[in-house]
This record gives sequence, C-alpha cells and structure tokens, in this order.
Amino acid sequence: MDLNFTKEQENFQIEVRSFLNDNLEPQVVEKVKNGIPITKEDSERWHQKLNEKGWLAGTWPKQYGGQEWDVVEKFIFEEECGSAGAPRIVPFGVGMLAPVLMKFGSQKQRDYWLPRMLTGEDWWCQGYSEPGSGSDLASLKTSAVRDGDYYIVNGQKTWTTFAQHANMIFCLVRTSNEGKPQEGISFILIDMNSPGIEVRPIITLDGSHEVNEIFFSDVKVPVKNLVGEENKGWTYAKYLLTHERTGNANVAVSKRKIQKLKKLADDAKKNEQPLSNDPMFASRLAQIEIDLQNLEITNLRTLASVENGEAPGAESSIIKILGSEIEQDIDNLTRKSLGKRAFVNEPDALSTGYNGAEVFPKAAAYASGKYFNHRKKSIYAGSNEIQKNIISKLMLNL
Amino acid sequence: MDFKPSPERQILFDTLKKYFENEYSLSDRNIAAHSDLGYSKKAWEAMRDLGILESLIDPELDGFGGTALDISTVFEALGRGLVVEPFLEVGILAAKVLSRGNDAQKSLVKKILENECLPILAHSETDTEYSKSFVETKLSVEADGSYKISGTKRMIKHASEATHFLVTCRNTGDASSEEGISIACIPTDREGIKIDSFATIDGGRVSDLTFTNASISSEELVGELGMSYSIVSHAIDTGILAICSEALGIMERIKELTLEYLKTRKQFGVPIGKFQAIQHRMAQLLIEIEQARSSVINATIYFGDETEREKTISAAKFSIGKIGTLVAEESIQLHGGMGMTWEYDLGHYAKRLVLIDHEFGDEDFHLQKYISL
Repeated sequence: MDLNFTKEQENFQIEVRSFLNDNLEPQVVEKVKNGIPITKEDSERWHQKLNEKGWLAGTWPKQYGGQEWDVVEKFIFEEECGSAGAPRIVPFGVGMLAPVLMKFGSQKQRDYWLPRMLTGEDWWCQGYSEPGSGSDLASLKTSAVRDGDYYIVNGQKTWTTFAQHANMIFCLVRTSNEGKPQEGISFILIDMNSPGIEVRPIITLDGSHEVNEIFFSDVKVPVKNLVGEENKGWTYAKYLLTHERTGNANVAVSKRKIQKLKKLADDAKKNEQPLSNDPMFASRLAQIEIDLQNLEITNLRTLASVENGEAPGAESSIIKILGSEIEQDIDNLTRKSLGKRAFVNEPDALSTGYNGAEVFPKAAAYASGKYFNHRKKSIYAGSNEIQKNIISKLMLNL
Repeated sequence: MDFKPSPERQILFDTLKKYFENEYSLSDRNIAAHSDLGYSKKAWEAMRDLGILESLIDPELDGFGGTALDISTVFEALGRGLVVEPFLEVGILAAKVLSRGNDAQKSLVKKILENECLPILAHSETDTEYSKSFVETKLSVEADGSYKISGTKRMIKHASEATHFLVTCRNTGDASSEEGISIACIPTDREGIKIDSFATIDGGRVSDLTFTNASISSEELVGELGMSYSIVSHAIDTGILAICSEALGIMERIKELTLEYLKTRKQFGVPIGKFQAIQHRMAQLLIEIEQARSSVINATIYFGDETEREKTISAAKFSIGKIGTLVAEESIQLHGGMGMTWEYDLGHYAKRLVLIDHEFGDEDFHLQKYISL
C-alpha cells in the first residue's frame, strides 16, 4: 500500500497552487466561498486565464490543446481549485460534450468545435431532461425529423443549466419510434440563436436563476450537426453521463466548508458558551468530518484503481451519493449554526455594488438559500436513487 | 498511489480465507464457542500451525509480522472465519504488553509462539467506563519492597484457561489518571485470585477477576512502577485496529451471504433481489461497508504516527460501530425469518458484529474522544 503522490505529482500540485495564488481574483473567490452564483463574465475571465496556461481542458489530448492529465493529475487540479475557492470550470463544453466528440464525432466536428470551447466562442448547455423524462431519460419525446439537409426539431427541454448564457446546446432528440425507446435517440448540436427557440427562466426555491426551460418550434438544424450515427445517441449519452458523474467527491470543497463552519461555530454563542463547545453541535460536526475523511479514502481508492488500469464501474455512483450527501449535511449544519440569522436571504450582499445593510456574519447572506439550492445535489446528474439502481445492477448483480 | 496489499500479505490473506472456508466449519465453531471453554483447542492448535500468531508478532520476538498492515490483513481474514480462538487476547493484547517488558517477560512472547503459555491482559474494570486510563485496582507497596494488588477486573475474555494475567493497577493518582498505572505479570495460580466466568452472546467465555492482596514481586512489573499507561494504551489501540479489521471481514462475509440469499430466495415468483425496495437497502449497505473499509485504511496509514494515531483510531472505531450495527440489523431484516435462526450462519456473524461495538469503547465513546482530540 502506498498512498503518497509521486515526485512529479507533488511538483504538479505545487505548480497548481502557485498558479491559483497568482491568478485568482479575490472578489470572485469571495463569492465562490460564500456560495454566491458568479456571473458569466467571472467565468469567462477565469476560463481565459486557464486556457492561456493550457489548463482549461487538462485531460484533453495534446493535439487539441490539452495536457493529457491522468486521473490523479485531474484530481490534484480539482482539489487545489476546490481548496482555493476557484470558480468551477463550466463543464458542458470541455468536460461533457468534448469527450463525446472525441470518441464519436467526425474529424470535421472535432476540428471546428473543440478550439471554440477553449477560446470561449461557444458557451454550451445540455439538452437532456424533458418535462416527462427525468430519471427515465430514454422516454424523451423532442423530435427531429429529417427534411433534406436539415432536421426539423420540435419539443421541450427543461432544467437546462445556464441556457441563458449559452449560444449552443447539445440535445438528445427522438429520430425514431421503432423498437426500444433507447434505439430511436440521436445526439445533435443546435444553435441557440436559431429561429423557433425560446428560453424561459426557471427560478429555483432560493430565488436564483440557474436553470431554464427551452421550447423548440420547427427549429432547423443542419444534418452536419448530427454527432455519430442517427439513432445511436443513447450510447453517446451514457458515455457522457459517466464523465458527468466522475469528480463528484468534492472533498476539498467540503473540507473548506467545514473549516468555515468551525469558524462560525467558534464565534456563535449558545448557553453563553461558543457553539463549538455544545455537545450536540460538536457531535453532528464530528460525524460529518469522519464521513468526509472516509470519503476521501474511498475516493482515492477509486482513483488508484483507475490509475492501475481498472475501469471505474459503479464506484462513481458511490462517490456521487456520498459526495452529495456530505455536502448537504454541511450546508444543513451551517444553516443550523446561524440560529435566527438563518432567516436572512441577501445573496447580493457579497456582490460588488451592494449598498444595503451589511450582513453579519457574512455567511448568513446566503446560507439558507444555499442549503435549499443544494438539495439539487442529490437530484441532478442521475438522482441518488438512480445511482443505487446502477450499483444494484453493476456491483451487486441483482 | 496503490491501495493493494503487498503480494506476501495477499497470499497470507488468501491462504487464511481458503482455510476458514474449507477447514473451519461454522457449526463446529458454534459448538466450541458456546462450550465451557469457549473455543476449540484443536482449532487453536491447527490455526497456530498456519503461522497466524507469528504474523502478528515482531521479528525480534521470533514472529514475522506485527505491523499495522499485517494485523489488519490477518484480522480481516479471522473476521471472515468468525474465529473465536484467542488471537486478539493473546497475539495482540498480551503480546504487545509483554514485548515492552523485561527479558523474562519478552521470553513469554516466544513461549506464546511455542504454545507453552497463554497470557491474558486484565484491564477493564467497569462495564461502561471505556477510558483506557480507568484503573482503580490498587497496588500497595509492602515494607520489603514487594507489592500487593486488590481490585476487580470485569469482562476479561478467554481468562479461564490463562497461564498469566497482565493486571493493570495503580499506586497513585485518580481513577482516570494516566499517571500511576502499573502492569503486573503474574501466574494465574497466585493466591488471592478469584475467577467467575460467564457465557457470551457472540461466543467465547468472559470472566470477572477479583484480586485480594495478591502478592507481586518487583520483577513482575511490566515497565516501571506507575509509568505503564503508554504500554497499555498502545496495546489497546492495536486491539482496536484488530477488531475493526475483524469487523470488516465479518461485513464482507455478511454481504456475500445476503446477496446470495437475495438472488435465490423467491417470492411473488421472482428473486426478492429484483425488488427495488430491497436493492436500495442493499446498495446502501455496500456504500457504508466501503466507507467502513476506508476508515480502517485511514487508521492503518496513521497507526505509526504518534499525533494522529488516536484520532484516526477513534474515527475508525466510531465508523465501525455505527456501520456494523446497521449492517447487522439490515442483513437480518433482508434475510427475513432465516436471519433469526441459530442454524443459519448469518445470525452468528451479526451477533459478533454488534458486540464488537461494546469492546474498547462504543461509537458514542469514540465520537466524544474524536471531538476531544
């Protein structure tokens, strides 16, 4: 058993740390650390800095501008970003569509779309879920009917994160009603500025705008925007989902949040004592901390098995469930630790240009909002119940 | 990064696993475990021939193992076999204490390996006080420089056949003070020792030991007078690592038994494992067992680290206590009535798993300890 990073991996860790130290903007870090949504411009500036360094798509092959990072390098980069409070790289282009294009797209598609992801010319969003097709994704109904050199797309997508920023969407559409539902799905790329597309915001219970619904009415999509073969889209979609589900442990982010929570609890008072001395609170906190330590090792064990050439099967489902639940536990305890101050909801109090009353402690500005917002973590990217179905099928063979 | 055991340890684990599957019948085990002796001398000797004790003991004392990884590997295998013979009591607790003693005491470790003695640590005193430093048994200094001990030790496992007791006692300090603790290594036929033994729910016998002015010579102290807390503390930490690993082996075996049952037991015309309500409970168990394993790996990694050892050991014991009880209860439920029978293996694994939480501090104790460190 050897849990140490190699010398090269350690050097890489130092390089990432110093890059982050030199390049992160403090006001953006402040927002990330307080869970406040960052703006499109905040993301774009950060993407650009990473791209200049060659780290926006570190796992990509060198020929497309990547560094060919292995799982451990990817892990080191993400953990350092998590600790430092760097904005998350918006994953839809570089992290999700790109692997599909590299594996299943044409050379022409790769040459055209991949560089534009790096330069930020395209902002992608993901057209998977529909009102009637959530966990049962294969029942999707949005149709694409071939008409000469075009597909005519009609239907509706929902829960589309950042569609309000996007100029492109990759979509699962129905091209056939023959056979099993999975066998009639295709994967196409649609210009969001096409006539017939309407984006409507969905405001979530915390009042924030991340997700949207998208309506397609006779939208014309060039046939060259079909990825791979017609009716093979389900295979590509599943391939993408395995990428979506890796890197969900969020250990560094959770560790940072626990440190912040401890600070809050040291400053808060209960029974005229620091809240951190309260046995009930200390017990809740310690249990989360131990769960997180265990997850850290569970995650490293998965990485090590990938590094040693064993493909991750449903292990990513285990990580997704644990990572999401632990983060939710921390958000829950953070809310509790604020007592009555948890009523406050002033997410703008951390943005530049805010001129309302100062919120104290600052974390209270969006603590309850974030708690409610993060209920999404056990729902998105395959709900935790779906992950258990995957574990049952692939690991337990039930 | 590599989490795989070394090839040697993997071979050791596989050898033991195969041995328990083929040679250590659970029905024979259960008869022995609930007999007056509490284990099988025949099985004990057969397993000693496999070198299990040597793998727990340092090379300088004629063993060939004794590291945290060796102990963890062996005890996971022992857990799979639901072995009731006194490897923990003799091979870990007594051997670790004696290895810090004088030459005569060190030679007892070698005698353990030669099957010439069976020393047992007599430390715990009250049923609900799990602190490692809780010792009220009194050590008094006589005019001639010899000592006498008086007090009661409770729930000492496998004590009735012991050749020596390693008795913790104190001459100064409060009941929970780390200062003032001594260990006396005395033959069990010494005058002034009474043994009351009891049957247990999970197999093996336990005893309450009463010492009434039992006399001790100064050569019989392990370590210096009043300075032996670190010896007993380290032995118990090693014992915690061992039973946490044992619990992992038990949980893996329970997982196998339960999965097999879910795939074969049919109701409403299909294997019950086809029902989602069952699948999700089983998937949750798998997740929890993986987390339990990670906690033990973490404790193993930090075992040699003086500052982190106790904290990671407490985190592991807490995790094992919480998850172990869950796995035991859920696996019985998933087995339905079969899980309730004496005849079927599952219940015996479940009993041991739950009772492991009562040894060396339960989940609440270790959570509090974790918080305090």
